[in-house]
Amino acid sequence: MSERTLSFVLPLASAAVIALAWQLTVQFGDIREIILPAPSAIAEKLLRTMPSLLDQAVVTGREALAAFALAVAAGFVGAATISSSKILREIFYPAIVTLQLIPKVALAPLFVIFLGIDHEARVTFAALLSFFPVLISTAVGLNNTDLSALRLCRSFGASPWRTFWSVRVPFALPHFFSGVRISSTMAVTGIVIAEFISAKEGLGFAILAAGARSQTAAAFAAIAVLCILGLALYGAVAGLERLAIRWYRG
Amino acid sequence: MDTLALPVASDAVAARGFIEVRQARKVYTSGDKPVEALSDVSFDVAKGEFIAILGPSGCGKSTLLMMCGGLERATGGTIEIAGRPMTGPRPSIGIMFQDPTLLPWKTVLQNVMFPAHILGKPDAQYRDRARQLVDMVGLQGFENKRPHELSGGMRQRVAICRALLNDPDILLMDEPFSALDAITRDEMNEALLDIWRHYGKTALFVTHSIREAVLLADRVLVMTRRPATVVADIGVPFGRPRDISVSETPEFAKLCADLRGMIEHGGGKRARRPGDGPVLQPGRHGGQT
Repeated sequence: MSERTLSFVLPLASAAVIALAWQLTVQFGDIREIILPAPSAIAEKLLRTMPSLLDQAVVTGREALAAFALAVAAGFVGAATISSSKILREIFYPAIVTLQLIPKVALAPLFVIFLGIDHEARVTFAALLSFFPVLISTAVGLNNTDLSALRLCRSFGASPWRTFWSVRVPFALPHFFSGVRISSTMAVTGIVIAEFISAKEGLGFAILAAGARSQTAAAFAAIAVLCILGLALYGAVAGLERLAIRWYRG
Repeated sequence: MDTLALPVASDAVAARGFIEVRQARKVYTSGDKPVEALSDVSFDVAKGEFIAILGPSGCGKSTLLMMCGGLERATGGTIEIAGRPMTGPRPSIGIMFQDPTLLPWKTVLQNVMFPAHILGKPDAQYRDRARQLVDMVGLQGFENKRPHELSGGMRQRVAICRALLNDPDILLMDEPFSALDAITRDEMNEALLDIWRHYGKTALFVTHSIREAVLLADRVLVMTRRPATVVADIGVPFGRPRDISVSETPEFAKLCADLRGMIEHGGGKRARRPGDGPVLQPGRHGGQT
């Protein structure tokens, strides 16, 4: 089998083995469905409630995308700022790191006070949770631009602005994308946390509601959809990254 | 032979010295202590001359070159080029570094046009010239290749084209071929002799290879460490056009041996001896072969 086929087959096989073990454990271990429903029960629930789950997924997905876009933009601008001068770095960097040290979940209730219980609060919260990886890795990339390339630009009398876009950003692209990939998963997490706190719809809300009614299978079904949503976002980012790296390396 | 047609306006400058370095000093602060990288360097270069700056590594010759290119400020003294003191990089000066410094995501042609691109000039204006330069250095057919698909010598050829894109008056080269193997290096030296004959740029070429200095230059400035300064200014008596076969003559070997002696004995003020060959004045090329 080629490496490419293996990289498809092996993850699916391991998932199948886990599902099978789970199914057998539940079936023969006499575990009640309210504690742990069998994969078959979850699948059945998933199929039956698919239309409403998809509606919830659209709500959560939209907000996650908005938060992700905001996080990437903020992370990029922040990285450009702190890597542009030593003074700006001294001003902002310690504050950003301190902010990162606060458990963001602890701030979630405050966002309700600041921004209400609507999209704005959830999107802002998730963006705050997920911008840090983009900022850090992009800053590393921008600071690691080949020094001789920068000297070359200086020898032409190029402006810092054009040097930034034509040389520093392309050199930082691989770093930027490794940050973006991590941020994409954190944006989804952030929206789900925010939905736990203030939402009337969305997958996070669905999980919370199912939990409150002890509908364990429904909670698992929502989690499964959430997984697919996260994977889709991550996959899209990985695809973009591959395109960018191909452009970069030729 | 002189392939240059000097514009009338710059005749005065050419006579006086197209490049004038006067008591140039450079002091770095490393930790608390000042380190003198360059002390009291003076020399003149006439328009169209090819000057090699020869010295052991760490003698400040690259620093001197970067000061001439406006990339380093002199701590003391003055550097004037074309009658104006150097205050920063100028488009009329093309620089080649030791590393070809090609951008990996750009093709050969895009790398050659990079100086225009980074200054926001329209590509169309430079495309023809870029193609001509690429053809001249023998890279036709490689225009759309990326740097990682090229050999080391080819990459430096691209860097030469890039330095020539703006049609600079002066070409500064900082050990551009020192990372190449000996055979490729000979090829590049021949290519450079060709290009120089073609374009007749004023050239400053930093190297630690005695052979390379003698092969390429009209004059060799010998630099030493402690004091980091120019200790000798030696004319190279081989005519132009020159090719690599000149390096097999006894005169060539003799001159190389003399230069080696100057570098090893720290130069100092050396009396001219018979057989040194004529010391050429700035602005006059050639001599007997």
